[in-house]
Amino acid sequence: METARGLLRLWPLHLAVLVIGVVSQVIGVRAIPIGFGTILLLPMLFAFAIALLLNPNVIGAMRRIVPARLAAAASPLIVIAIMPFIARFGADIGPGIELVIRSGPALVLQEIGNLGTILLAFPLAVWVLRMGRESIGAVHSIAREPNIAIVADRYGLRSAEGTGVLGVYVMGTLFGTFIFAIIASVLSTAGLFSIEALAMACGVGSGSMMAACSGALAAGAPEASETITALAGSSNLVTYATGMYVSLFVALPLVEWMYRRSRPDDPGNARISLFGRPRSEEAAS
Amino acid sequence: MTAADRSPEPPDLADLDYAEADERTLRLLPTLRDLGLVSLVSVPIQAIATELSVLSIVVGLLVLYGMCVIGLLLTKHVPLRLPSVAWISLVAIALTLPMLPWSGAVLPLVEGIDFLALAVPPLAYAGFAISGMEMAVMRRSGWKLLIVAIFVFAGTYIGSAVIAELTLRLTGARL
Repeated sequence: METARGLLRLWPLHLAVLVIGVVSQVIGVRAIPIGFGTILLLPMLFAFAIALLLNPNVIGAMRRIVPARLAAAASPLIVIAIMPFIARFGADIGPGIELVIRSGPALVLQEIGNLGTILLAFPLAVWVLRMGRESIGAVHSIAREPNIAIVADRYGLRSAEGTGVLGVYVMGTLFGTFIFAIIASVLSTAGLFSIEALAMACGVGSGSMMAACSGALAAGAPEASETITALAGSSNLVTYATGMYVSLFVALPLVEWMYRRSRPDDPGNARISLFGRPRSEEAAS
Repeated sequence: MTAADRSPEPPDLADLDYAEADERTLRLLPTLRDLGLVSLVSVPIQAIATELSVLSIVVGLLVLYGMCVIGLLLTKHVPLRLPSVAWISLVAIALTLPMLPWSGAVLPLVEGIDFLALAVPPLAYAGFAISGMEMAVMRRSGWKLLIVAIFVFAGTYIGSAVIAELTLRLTGARL
């Protein structure tokens, strides 16, 4: 998107990010005590929130100051901006390799823990909120890009299941970093889990979710910072390698089966075979 | 949610930028230029976050830049389909493994760079990148999907933490 002449035309965007970044970093880490734990608000969360408030797609009044063109150009820059961050994370995994190898079984097995989403979210979606087949797309995974691709392939994005996965994807894009930072800081101060286990669990989502999550842990336990980044980073790497398969071969068939058991009369059940390809061609979207 | 709750015209999802681009077709030069720009944005942020001199910050960011470049080249030329961030991670690991001779030279250069502050620019870009389409999907999804999403994230995180904790205890990796 406009990358050819981007250098000159995008300087306001880079400048805005620079100013927002400096402001956020000056605000620093803020701790909010909430009784049974503490929520740590990190500079990266402030940066995200400020940029959201300046985004003309979010706050319509911003259209006068910030052209929508800039917002569109920001999208491909996220993955580029996260690359040095990922490299810095890797530079903690290298020196911590003994710890990572010692934790190998836990790192691999905790991928199965991703199915915890089904345990917690399926009952809520189906029995409390009385949602239909949207539930299947919504609760089967953390709804990052590979999971959307899987749902798109099996059901199509215009289907109810597609609505579900896209909904959670967008909620995750908007609120995921905040949710992860809050869960991680509350759990680490509540003292139920070891910092190693919490760090590994940080690797389950996208790069920015991992950043917010391990950032919250590291801000709460600075002495363990390198352990946290080494384990979170390697867990994220394992997720890149295996997450899609857990989603495709375990989570999605499992949720589909659970849904059929709990809602045998849903006419949508007949639209797709339990393991097979979609029966209708609208799924090709 | 029943069929009646759904808006009659779903937004055109073709515009939603969810798809993973095939990164092997990534054009290298614009990416390297943008990577340089976002690294430049990081310099003052690192200067606030760390005690490092500007020179050490620039050197540290240059080394990270180099790791990203190697990772991108591997993404493009190795016929094994991994996302570029996975390759970059592997490159950074390979350059900092303590048993390899070069780690003593590489690690001290990047050690001081603050990882929390490095996450600030990507999230600022992410805040700007929220599209009108994504806002439309959010409005259409409504509060039910927001609650479900919170449970999905909490469930994934806690599920992983529980299994990691149990495995660490059983294997005695946690001493």
